Amino acid sequence: MPADVRPARPQPLAHRALRWLMAMAGGPAPARAGRVRRDHIVTGPGRGGRVLAGPVLAGPVLAGIMLAAGLSGCGTHTAAGNVITASAGACGTGWRQVTGGMQTFQIRNSSIGGAEVDLINPASGAVYAEVAGLGPGTTRPMRVDLGSGRYAFRCLIQDTGPLTGPVVRVGGQHQGAPAVLPVTTDNLLGPARVYHAYVSAGLNTLVRQVSALTARIRAGQLAAARAAWLPAHLTYERLGAAYGTFGNYDTEIDGRPDGLPRGLSDPAFTGFYRIEYGLWHGQNARQLDAPAAKLDSGVRALRGFWPGMEINVLDLGLRTHEILENALQFQLTGHDDYGSGTTLATTAANITGTRETLGILHPLLAARYPGLAAVNAGLDRLGRLVSAARQADGRWTPVSKLATIQREQIDAAAGQVLEELAPVAAMTEPRRS
Amino acid sequence: MAGPDDGPHDAEAGACPGRPPRRSFLRGALGAGLTGAVAGAAAGAGAGYAYSSSQAAPPGQVLDATMVQGRLPAVSFHGRHQAGILAKPERQTIMLSFNVTAGGRGELTDLLRTITARARFLTAGGIPPQAGLGAPPSDSGVLGPTVVPDGLTVTVGVGSTLFDDRYGLAARKPAGLIPMTAFPNDDLDPAQCGGDLSLQLSAGSQDTVLHALRDIARHTRGGMQALWRIDGFSSPARPAGTTPRNLQGFMDGIANPDTGRAEAMNSLVWVQPGARGEPAWTADGSYQVIRLIRMFVEFWDRVDIIEQENMIGRRKDTGAPLDANTEFGRPDYTLDPTGAVIPLTAHIRLANPRTPQTEANRILRRAHNYDRGLDAVGDLDMGLIFACYQQDIARQFVTVQTRLIGEPMAGFISPFGGGYFFALPGVRDTRDYLGRGLLA
Repeated sequence: MPADVRPARPQPLAHRALRWLMAMAGGPAPARAGRVRRDHIVTGPGRGGRVLAGPVLAGPVLAGIMLAAGLSGCGTHTAAGNVITASAGACGTGWRQVTGGMQTFQIRNSSIGGAEVDLINPASGAVYAEVAGLGPGTTRPMRVDLGSGRYAFRCLIQDTGPLTGPVVRVGGQHQGAPAVLPVTTDNLLGPARVYHAYVSAGLNTLVRQVSALTARIRAGQLAAARAAWLPAHLTYERLGAAYGTFGNYDTEIDGRPDGLPRGLSDPAFTGFYRIEYGLWHGQNARQLDAPAAKLDSGVRALRGFWPGMEINVLDLGLRTHEILENALQFQLTGHDDYGSGTTLATTAANITGTRETLGILHPLLAARYPGLAAVNAGLDRLGRLVSAARQADGRWTPVSKLATIQREQIDAAAGQVLEELAPVAAMTEPRRS
Repeated sequence: MAGPDDGPHDAEAGACPGRPPRRSFLRGALGAGLTGAVAGAAAGAGAGYAYSSSQAAPPGQVLDATMVQGRLPAVSFHGRHQAGILAKPERQTIMLSFNVTAGGRGELTDLLRTITARARFLTAGGIPPQAGLGAPPSDSGVLGPTVVPDGLTVTVGVGSTLFDDRYGLAARKPAGLIPMTAFPNDDLDPAQCGGDLSLQLSAGSQDTVLHALRDIARHTRGGMQALWRIDGFSSPARPAGTTPRNLQGFMDGIANPDTGRAEAMNSLVWVQPGARGEPAWTADGSYQVIRLIRMFVEFWDRVDIIEQENMIGRRKDTGAPLDANTEFGRPDYTLDPTGAVIPLTAHIRLANPRTPQTEANRILRRAHNYDRGLDAVGDLDMGLIFACYQQDIARQFVTVQTRLIGEPMAGFISPFGGGYFFALPGVRDTRDYLGRGLLA
């Protein structure tokens, strides 16, 4: 299950959480300010989001250069002559030889600031290729498979408005690499608001369920507490795209003992897994009282602060695959089974959480990702296989007790849908357009 | 996964030479990601590979001298027989077994077509396609920006379990394909035995085989799930020009049949067209036996050299049979009927008695060494990935192994895994795919 700043076990969410924390601490603002250029990020190992300073203005400069293209489609054109210049006065000049197929452009930043250079479809603004973080005076290759169509370079130079260079037509019939319609920060604000509301509702349920769990532990009704533990945990596990925003609350509520000096008996091991460990390892109510109280106060505090917490717009796309990456790493392996044998239930909750983010992003993805139907089919398949592993009386089977073929089917479906989900983050990374 | 029924002849007209069929087991991510937004119209037709059009040097052709420095040239993927069978063991290998998780015959076909397409690209080498902005990179980059062939061979076999009721293939099962059965000295771990599909990746360097494994696995996640895996290596010849040694220190595979003699291969290795009882599609395939054999090397190293050599029947230093002077000298058992020179129980004598009657029992050994850490008492877990190819498992491997039951050397080894598979016929050309005859 995703949990960010847990010690010792490096995982994607941890990096990304750091990025968020850095942003909260007043570091370079991520996506809100547009794209963050990688070399502007001093400390954050986080992912995505690049910023280029400067106002957004200037329309395409349609110089309409037409170059006839002898299409081979099968050769590599190193295009030694195609040194493309980006400077405040000239953008995308230098096309000499233009043919379909694989091309390598040498992109040279002749300005005095950092630059990003994109190869775009001038009609739609869709981006075929980019060279980001191009330092002043440096040259970097841009490889792209050019199909027939119209192309232009767009230069985003630090402290300068975007410039679009001459439009060049590549003839022939070759179908080259696809372009991606950029997603802007503005595009993501609405989805982030919807997700915020989803989490609000989830936290209300969570507080109620944790309160019931805590009351049973206090009353010494441990069998009832075991029954109450799972629904509460699953509610939390459906909120996977918010863990980064939860920050340290996530560690407190759903942290693992990994990396703690005293492991399972470390006082810093708190939350759902701590309680699960106790409830399924013969601990008594007295031993569980403090962890229960801490979980209860943790979820209440989180609910209290949530209205003021802001979801990083980067997160929705990233979490769309990360939630299940973590399910594969921690649930389907059985790593996060601290006694209840319910990691398949957790996986099912993670699938629900993934569907929620996908649903919210659907308006953006529908126009951009032809693999979306396969994603949904893959989630259906995984969901069916996980449900089928539930016993007739409703109890869950620990993954280690699954028949080999059953476990293989689940793992294969999880791996497959993760491959299908992987492009979502890249497609929904906010870009300056 | 069954989309439009891409037959074997749907390769695009006018496509680049060596371009794989536009079809991927993976309908989303890599495929569709590459197909992308603007080109989204193609999506409904089964997300295609958007291969770099500049890839794939013709088989055997060196891409670029600087690029392949220290690497082997490409081994042709296409042919009547699969590569990686007759060739001498390469320096590095990965042997895996998978269970197929594909949801039906159509998905199984997709799976084999995808493995074929990946193998075709990986064995030829070239520049991976640019994924563009809408997807993660299409290649792991482990081999750098240009995939070098490095002698990669990809060899695929099918196990008897693939012919159960899941895919409707029962009637097409190779006649002699059975699950691996235990011999008296075996200690088989079910978790390391059998499987629906065997995959062997061999090349000159470890990064090459690992790159190939990551690539193939990435494209086939939903279609198959690895059951067991073992990595192996073949040692350099020591001294040069001799047969490489196994981890008992003996040369391994000296007495193999001559792979250069087509009649020997046709009588011992390849299933022949029209072979009695065999489904027609099996022609040009070969039965593959894999046995994972732990060697108790500490125990072995505590054994006197005379006893070691008597157990094997050869000199340890030169590889010569105990009754001959050189590695390739031919033992003459008729002159030694009581085993005074080469004991009757010596490995080489039991395995290949060199009589006209036992000639048809010979196998083509293709073993690698393995080394994977420690056992529970801190001893070294190393041994042999024994693999052999033959026309008929019962007539060949099982007969030989039955003769070996109780050989003195058995006390120093423990077979713990492996399986029997049928190595599919070769992929003839760019329109063909692994298992086409089986699935057509």
